[in-house]
Amino acid sequence: MSTAVQTASAEIQVGHETAILPSGKLGVWWFIASEIMVFGGLIGTYVLLRVAHGGWSDQASHVNWRLGAINTLVLVTSSLTMILALNAVRVERRERAARFLLLTVLLGLTFLGIKSIEYTHELGEGFTPASGMFWSFYYIMTGLHGLHVLGGIILNATLYVAAVRGTLWSDNRRARVEFAGLYWHFVDVVWIFLFPLLYLA
Amino acid sequence: MKPNEPTAITAESLDRASIIVWVWLVGLLGAGMMVFMLPIPRTPALLLIFGISAFKATLVLRDYMHLKGEKMLIYAIALTPLLLAIALALVLIPDIVFRR
Repeated sequence: MSTAVQTASAEIQVGHETAILPSGKLGVWWFIASEIMVFGGLIGTYVLLRVAHGGWSDQASHVNWRLGAINTLVLVTSSLTMILALNAVRVERRERAARFLLLTVLLGLTFLGIKSIEYTHELGEGFTPASGMFWSFYYIMTGLHGLHVLGGIILNATLYVAAVRGTLWSDNRRARVEFAGLYWHFVDVVWIFLFPLLYLA
Repeated sequence: MKPNEPTAITAESLDRASIIVWVWLVGLLGAGMMVFMLPIPRTPALLLIFGISAFKATLVLRDYMHLKGEKMLIYAIALTPLLLAIALALVLIPDIVFRR
C-alpha cells in the first residue's frame, strides 16, 4: 500500500510504495538480524543460567531499579523524537528535523549519563564484573547495549550536523535518517527486554 | 476510492500517531512498574512484566520501525535470527533439567 503525505507545498510519497526494497534498508535489516543473534544469544544464556542456578535474585536486588525505569523512559522518549525527526524529514521541515535529531542525541547522552551514575554507585559498593554471575552478565549486557547507544548517538549527531549544514536533503541522504531510526529503535527494543531481566526479575 | 489509490494523510496526523504510540509505551512502562511494586506473587508478576515488555517491543517494531507495512522479506530477515536464538535456548534446556 502506498501512502502520501500532504504538505502546503507538496505531496510526498512515504511508506512502501516501491516494488523493490532499497538496498540500504535491506542492509540495515541484515545488520539488525545479526544484532538479534548477539543479544538473543546473551539473553538466552542469561535466562537459562539464572533458572539453573539459584541465588541470583539476592545479587539483582542491589541494582537501582528507579534509575533503570527513568532510563527506560528516556530511551522510549528518544524513540519518539527520532520518529518525529523522520516525519519532519519526509515533509522537508528542515529546522524541525534538525531540532528532533538534536533532541535524540541529547536523550541518548542522558541515558549514558544515568547509566554511568549507576555504574559509579555499583562499583563504589564493590559490585564488579567479578562479583558473581549476575554481575558479570549485568556489566556485559548493559555495557554492550551502552556501546550501541553510543554508536547511535554518533550516527544521529552526524545526521544533525548534516541537517544544519544543509547537506542532508538530497534524496539518498534523506533515507539515512530512516536507516538511523531503524537502528535507534532496535536499541530501544533491546533495552525494553534488558530492563525487566536485570532490574525487575 | 479505487483500491490502489494512495491514502492522503497529513504530516500532523503522522506526528499524532507517533505521539499516541509513545503515550502507550509510557503507560505500559507505568503498568509494569505497578506490577513490580504491588504485592503480587513472583511468578504471575514476572509473566505480566514480560508480557507488557513484549507488547511494548511489538509497538516499537510495528509503528516506529514500520514493520506493519513491510514486505515479507523483512519479516523473514528479522524473524529468522529470533527463531534461531530461541532454538538455541531450547536445545540447552535438557542440559539444565538433567543436571538437576
